[in-house]
Amino acid sequence: MNKIYGEGETAVHAVKDVSFSVKKGELLLIVGSSGSGKSTLLNMIGFLDHPTNGKILIDGIDTTNLKDGDLSSFRNSKLGFVFQFSNLLSDLTVLENVLLPRKIQQNGDATDDATKLLRTVGLEKEIHKRANKISGGQAQRVAIARALINKPLIVLADEPTGNLDSVNAETIVQLMKSMAEKLGQTFIIVTHERDQFGKVDRVITIKDGRAFEGEEQKRMEVAV
Amino acid sequence: MDYRTQLATRMLMNKKGSLIGAVLAVSIGILVIHVNFVIFQGLYDAIVRDMKAYRFGDVYVTKEGDYIDKSDIALVNWFERIPYVEAATPRLDSSAGINATKYGKRHEEFSVPVVGVDPFRDIRASAIHDTVGDGQFVFARNSIVLGSTVARDLGGVQVGDEVELTFVNRWGEDQTRRFVVSGITTSAGGQGFDFSVIVHIDTLRSILDRTDETGAIIVKLYDPTKATEVKDLFLRSFPSDDFKAETIDESAESTLRGFRSGIALINLIGYFGMMSSAFAIVTIQMMIVSSKTREIGVMRAIGAKRKDILLLFIFQGIIIGAIGAATGTALGLVYTAYAKETKLEFEGSLALEVTYDWSKIGQTALTSFALAIAASIYPAYRATKLQPMEAMRTV
Repeated sequence: MNKIYGEGETAVHAVKDVSFSVKKGELLLIVGSSGSGKSTLLNMIGFLDHPTNGKILIDGIDTTNLKDGDLSSFRNSKLGFVFQFSNLLSDLTVLENVLLPRKIQQNGDATDDATKLLRTVGLEKEIHKRANKISGGQAQRVAIARALINKPLIVLADEPTGNLDSVNAETIVQLMKSMAEKLGQTFIIVTHERDQFGKVDRVITIKDGRAFEGEEQKRMEVAV
Repeated sequence: MDYRTQLATRMLMNKKGSLIGAVLAVSIGILVIHVNFVIFQGLYDAIVRDMKAYRFGDVYVTKEGDYIDKSDIALVNWFERIPYVEAATPRLDSSAGINATKYGKRHEEFSVPVVGVDPFRDIRASAIHDTVGDGQFVFARNSIVLGSTVARDLGGVQVGDEVELTFVNRWGEDQTRRFVVSGITTSAGGQGFDFSVIVHIDTLRSILDRTDETGAIIVKLYDPTKATEVKDLFLRSFPSDDFKAETIDESAESTLRGFRSGIALINLIGYFGMMSSAFAIVTIQMMIVSSKTREIGVMRAIGAKRKDILLLFIFQGIIIGAIGAATGTALGLVYTAYAKETKLEFEGSLALEVTYDWSKIGQTALTSFALAIAASIYPAYRATKLQPMEAMRTV
């Protein structure tokens, strides 16, 4: 997969010939410094951005030619998102934010599931609070619950601890790891705080838009 | 509740300033139309009301190019046998030069319209006798009721004074008569006979040498909606008499044609006001879309389709339109009720004839409701064009 912004001399090759596959239930970290292209890569996996060339297959489905409406449905049912800033809808309560992906799906009432998820992330007392009345750490936990409400194939997290203090960051990391383990869901997490996550299933390093893994990755890290 | 409706409502409720602004824009548009309607349609209807009450009745019968030579009593009796008819009365119009001597000063003769009435029948079929503020109606043959303007122009002639009128009879001869002023008539807005004089119809017939001739028959109905039916029945019953019968709409047509164009113009201005309200809604909705760009991006990211975003903002238009139309209509009705209860008039002019035209009220409310929705389409469309990532980068 490649992603090139702009044209001609001003073109920026943000992602260069990246190709990898992720197993079901795997917790994959994509690490790299700021501007390395890791968020661009995650956005393309989440269909929030289009690759200049290349394709993404999820659960055997080639997503290349899906139309905008189909991609929206795909994002809604197969993917969960956790952003750096929790990006909750301030007009809704905590519970309503968690329920939103299911309501978009128009697939029955999921209040019990949402309440259960909010209990799991430790926010059962906050469910009726407006989303803008809770702390940043709490908001990120709500975002995780929202990402999981539709039982997606993959949860994509872009710098989920990037905007949190160390205590809250640790809580979020542990929460995501435990959820991945408990639910057997695939997590692809972009971060530049590799150490925060400790032992994970797999790590891909992105540098200057290229992906490195295994021996190549070790050689590059030694070189750095 | 559908999540889009819920979210649309919440977004608006949490942006009260924008909501109030948009609702006010719609309401004021409607209120302007209501006020225009009350004033201009009220004035129009008041003129029609007074023309009907004083001059034409519900049905106005004349003879094509001539005086009616059939017995007025026979015609009045014919009409009064129809169950819809409350009363009928004959009238005879002419003109005369008038002068008076007041405090030794003779006021120059000027010409006035003269209306001959049958006082006993006229008080049942017309309201002109109600405009006699001072004195009484023309029950005596030598009495005259002066219009207030005529009385003033004659140097302040009062009840009991004498005036002299010079007529030209059917043979072209001058006929001068002295009359005793029995009353002065004043009507709101001068819609009555303020510029005319009223005499007994038999006196006028005698002066003009038109015994048994009548200028017109005024017919008053219990139910004005039956005017056309009565008119048609009359014309069918007297097919060879060259009668001309008109309903009030027809007889007042020449007077009111220009007025109707004026009302149409005022209404057009009102609808332009409504269009301005729609532009205000476009602006306010664009501001809401702009302030909710990040939320739109998030919604798109978690699976909302363009259609969902479109509906979300159109729902906002529906909410604004519904609240605005309800508020504007309520304000309009309050104003209409006020105008009706207080018999609104302007500086002593005729009281407006205020009516609740429910079809127009509904039409105005529906038009502004539809405009509010239409005004939301462009901002909603713009919202659907936002790309999720770009939208979420907005702070």
